Amino acid sequence: MTVQEKTSSVQSQQRTPLVSRAALVRWVIILALVAVLEFTTRTGMISQSLMVPPSEILTRLASIVPTEQFGQDAARTLTTILVAFSIGLVLGIPLGVFLWRVPAAGRILEPFIVTGYAMPTLLFYPVLLALMGLNAGPIIVIAASMSLIPIALTTMVALNAIKPILHKLANSVSASPRQYYLKVLFPAATPLIFPGVKLGFIYAVIGTVAMEFILASQGVGFRAGFYYRELNTADMWAYIAVVIVLSVLVNSVLTWLEKRIRRDML
Amino acid sequence: MSQVSPIDSVEHDSDVVFDNIGMTFGTASGVTHAVANVSGAIPEGKFVSVIGPSGCGKSTLLDMVGGLLKPTQGSVSINGESVTGPRRDTAMVFQEDSTLHWRTVLDNVAFGLEVKGLPKAERHERARRMIELVGLTGFEDHRPGQLSGGMKQRVAIARALAMEPRVLLMDEPFGALDQQTRQFIGRELLRIWEKTRNRVLFITHDIQEAVYLSDEVWVMSARPSVVKEVVTIDLPRPRPEGTHALPRFRELEDHLWALVKVEAEKTLGPGARLA
Ligand SMILES: Nc1ncnc2c1ncn2[C@@H]1O[C@H](COP(=O)(O)OP(=O)(O)OP(=O)(O)O)[C@@H](O)[C@H]1O
Ligand SMILES: [Mg+2]
Repeated sequence: MTVQEKTSSVQSQQRTPLVSRAALVRWVIILALVAVLEFTTRTGMISQSLMVPPSEILTRLASIVPTEQFGQDAARTLTTILVAFSIGLVLGIPLGVFLWRVPAAGRILEPFIVTGYAMPTLLFYPVLLALMGLNAGPIIVIAASMSLIPIALTTMVALNAIKPILHKLANSVSASPRQYYLKVLFPAATPLIFPGVKLGFIYAVIGTVAMEFILASQGVGFRAGFYYRELNTADMWAYIAVVIVLSVLVNSVLTWLEKRIRRDML
Repeated sequence: MSQVSPIDSVEHDSDVVFDNIGMTFGTASGVTHAVANVSGAIPEGKFVSVIGPSGCGKSTLLDMVGGLLKPTQGSVSINGESVTGPRRDTAMVFQEDSTLHWRTVLDNVAFGLEVKGLPKAERHERARRMIELVGLTGFEDHRPGQLSGGMKQRVAIARALAMEPRVLLMDEPFGALDQQTRQFIGRELLRIWEKTRNRVLFITHDIQEAVYLSDEVWVMSARPSVVKEVVTIDLPRPRPEGTHALPRFRELEDHLWALVKVEAEKTLGPGARLA
């Protein structure tokens, strides 16, 4: 017991400085990049019609963020992403379970799903716009279908990877189907499903922002596209910065969640 | 068929009865006759061990008694009821690691009771007692990833014992343990069993262990397997530590060894040496 505690504390003592050193190096790289951008844009090595200095993006953001319009855009984009991701989860996980439960269906449908993965779904955007009108609907459909595919595929793969002995165990204690799913299958599969869920979220973000950029009436992506077409580079970059910050935030939340789940499960 | 021993009047309804069971697996590479014509019975309150060469169908036999596999021939019955699926009064310990890696030792041991719907306080109390029995006190909050192979196997044993089954099916439960732990847990198992006197079907490849624990040892032949001989272990119970040194113990051990050797040579080819 005590020996074990000692070794684990030794490990964590060694690990922490390594992690923080990596984080430090990462910050140095980011700051260096920002400095290079600042320098190259200010000196005209990069034309200001392509990219404005980071300091100017910051001042633009300072005036954009407090506006009511920004609040509405951000709210629209966030809700669209969340709705699309929720649909991806709610449909993707049962689809993955189905593909696992019915291997014949899995074999028949898998090529379609993988094709769906590789296909630029955005081509259907104009059709959906014609059908549903210029609102969040078509964007949600596209972003949700992009989000659903990695979730369904990893769910199927994760369930297939569960050791047969766990099925035997659940069976031997006469677990009900509900107990079987909740107490054995999902806990066993979660660490493997999670990367797919993460990817599903990222796809929901990409799908939403990209569709907004192409054509929409509101949203962060729409605003970036709007300023792009107006040749207003500074404001375009301010909105791009918002998207970058959003992605980084979401990704770190998901990474933190994943770590927690793994720690509890492995 | 000559191997079918008719169920005679000595057997009771409360027994675990094998009525000429057989199992044939059909796979892409052909058919495997894993078990052929096994008949016999585990009487109420008896400890039966099964020994036999690797791959002869011992695990398959256990799965059929546990209701996890449907025999392709014949049937198993417990308390006069034919086994059609897993039963609530049966508990199993598997040959491979079957711990749930996301649960603590305590919740692993309590798993069977949890599925049965026992309240948390009660199932944890029972689980704690079993954890003590298998010598894992202090590890209640550890996860299987932090345990050795033998410790994981003890978790599985504790899980099965906690369910207080009327029929206990164990597939080489001590396979991952060293000799000393093996004997210690074996003695503990006997001590518990002397109190509960449930029916035990115990698979092992350790002849000494089989003799020490059992009332009967069934020697299985090479595939397609039948029970070649039933050896009654007429050593008095309880069996204290010195039991291994009794002349009768040695006799039984030698007899079983000779039987197993013949079957092992059939599987591995003549001239094969046993480890
Ligand atoms: N699901 C299955 N499909 C096809 N063949 C199987 C299956 N399960 C077992 N077998 C075959 O049945 C035979 C008996 O297997 P079993 O696991 O019962 O042996 P065993 O006596 O428990 O061996 P060991 O002592 O090595 O554990 C083997 O030849 C094995 O290949
Ligand atoms: Mg086996």
